[in-house]
Amino acid sequence: MSEIGRWVRRWIARIRTAGAITFTQLRHQKLRLGLAIIGISLAVLAMTLLVGTGVGVIETGEQQFDTADRDLWMTAGETRLTPTGGGGFQNTLYDSRSVSENVSQHDGVRNAVPLAFQTVYVTTEDKEEFRTFVGSGTPASGSSVQVIDGESFGGDPHYAGGTYDGERTGEVLIDRETAQRLDVEIGDTLYVGGSYAAARENEVTVVGISPTFEQMLGAPTVVMPLSELHQATGSTQTEPATFITITLEDDADLDAVQRDLQAQYPEYEIRSNQEQLEAVLQEQVLVLAAGFTLVVLAIGAGIALTVNLLALVIYQQRHAFAVLRAQGLSSSLLVLSVVGQGLAIGVIGGLLGGLLTPPSVSLLNRMTVAVVGFDGLVQLEPRLIAGSIVLAIAIGTVAAAIAGWRISRTPPLEYL
Amino acid sequence: MAVPTLEQRTTVPPVVNAASVTKVYTRGSEPGRFGRLIGRSEPATVEAVSDVSLTIRPGEIVGLAGPSGSGKSTLLHLLAGLEVPTEGAVQYQDTDLASLSNRRRTRLRLEEIGIVFQQFHLLDSLSARANVALPLVELGVGRRKRRQRASELLERVGLGDRISHRPGELSGGEQQRVAIARALVTDPTLVVADEPTGELDTETGRRVLEEFTRVAEDRAVVLASHDRETLAIADRIVRLQDGTIVDSADA
Repeated sequence: MSEIGRWVRRWIARIRTAGAITFTQLRHQKLRLGLAIIGISLAVLAMTLLVGTGVGVIETGEQQFDTADRDLWMTAGETRLTPTGGGGFQNTLYDSRSVSENVSQHDGVRNAVPLAFQTVYVTTEDKEEFRTFVGSGTPASGSSVQVIDGESFGGDPHYAGGTYDGERTGEVLIDRETAQRLDVEIGDTLYVGGSYAAARENEVTVVGISPTFEQMLGAPTVVMPLSELHQATGSTQTEPATFITITLEDDADLDAVQRDLQAQYPEYEIRSNQEQLEAVLQEQVLVLAAGFTLVVLAIGAGIALTVNLLALVIYQQRHAFAVLRAQGLSSSLLVLSVVGQGLAIGVIGGLLGGLLTPPSVSLLNRMTVAVVGFDGLVQLEPRLIAGSIVLAIAIGTVAAAIAGWRISRTPPLEYL
Repeated sequence: MAVPTLEQRTTVPPVVNAASVTKVYTRGSEPGRFGRLIGRSEPATVEAVSDVSLTIRPGEIVGLAGPSGSGKSTLLHLLAGLEVPTEGAVQYQDTDLASLSNRRRTRLRLEEIGIVFQQFHLLDSLSARANVALPLVELGVGRRKRRQRASELLERVGLGDRISHRPGELSGGEQQRVAIARALVTDPTLVVADEPTGELDTETGRRVLEEFTRVAEDRAVVLASHDRETLAIADRIVRLQDGTIVDSADA
């Protein structure tokens, strides 16, 4: 047989023997193997769920902006989530009525509508227990506010051209979560205000169920005419809003109108749907950084766990490995057997993590619907699962390579 | 095979020959340029073996005797090519071991030298036969031949009915016999054993020594021990003290 043939044969025998050592080692160390596999699976799960949540948040955000059916969003400064109350955004755009009136006059703009989200206290007829909700104010319910049960409120007549002398509708829309929390239905009476005292004086009737703003904010809401929200919260003087949403004429050039409006109103930010979503996400940089850190930590923990495990395996076998090396066995056979173990742990752990991902996503989605109101917030991405499995295999192999490197570096007599 | 006489033995070329061998170990690391600059002293040295000469011929069992720290194990490691001398030379047949690269010395050990340690150190997840057959993998021997050779050797050391047992299922004596079979599986010319009966009870130790006597029929054996019974099987006993040979005589 030629030298090359012998070399190939020797390597085949080495690989097969390393495989046999791997198999027997894994069978012999079931508990340790099980724990390592669980560790890797959890790392994979952490990756798939965290990244799936990130993807889901972005996709849900895009959907919400698409559902809103607006072309441009006008804000004053940062669009921050309010730290108090039941959720929603801070209202930093003042004199929203007159600004939106002016914007509406611009060429290519069909209408401009201010939207305000303010924390309100709500109680039922007994007026005893107040609960906090996001009060959503919009000048007209229109087609952009979806009503799934009952009917919409009849416009915003109370504003009356800025005098606030018009007749109050005294009507509100609520979502199912709000209805459930307050134990009310269509036709029931509620009391809504920016303070307990104001709420006691402001009687409204539930006329319909609308999921629109609950889905947008991920919090239970009470939707009412903008002027009545401003009145109930004592802010008719400043008329604050979170956004002014702008809908363009069908033939209008979005980029051109955006440029023109931005030039005309430099003190405000005029953004498209995508830009507005990105702006909102950028405000949550800490949350995003925390999510990214968790993914990195999960990968790091997976590597550390596997390295530790394989180092322990090698430590336990160090005398036997040392004797074999003294006997003349090359370290490659022993390194191969360790790499085999790392590979096996990575493959099994990765597949298990991949298998556990769909039920975990389903469970998390049920929880997020119950807690924040968004459905499908955690996305199941097949490519992400496949990527995580590959990463798990890489973790196992890298860990084994590190552990194996240690074997090849240790002189045999050190352990004899 | 009849044991060769002293006269016969001296005419056969040696298996291994140590000529004026000295081995010095350094305790700790060299201070380096910066270390010397800040006054770090040179590390302490220990002369484990000093100017030792020893020739071992085929069919001979040589016992290395002496108290702990006398240099028995170091001399054994030098003869087996596990270490190279600081001074002098160890020649395996016609090859100076120090002239070989690490890899070639490892290969020479695999093909020519069997090593038995005081502790058996078998891979606990493998069967007795798989443990014995492992060195043959490195030689590229086929699976069937490996299994056959390993089974033969286990049969020879009295473990024919234990070939599928794992180390944890074997007694200390049985494990040591598996280790001897592993050392012999490549059919080495030289077998070195460091306190091979140190972990065994008297009866088991006796059985293991019988194996060494059988082994020595067609190869050279060097045993390091301070056990009188172990040394009793040697043809020649070399006594060491403080790293030097103080006595060498036929047993």
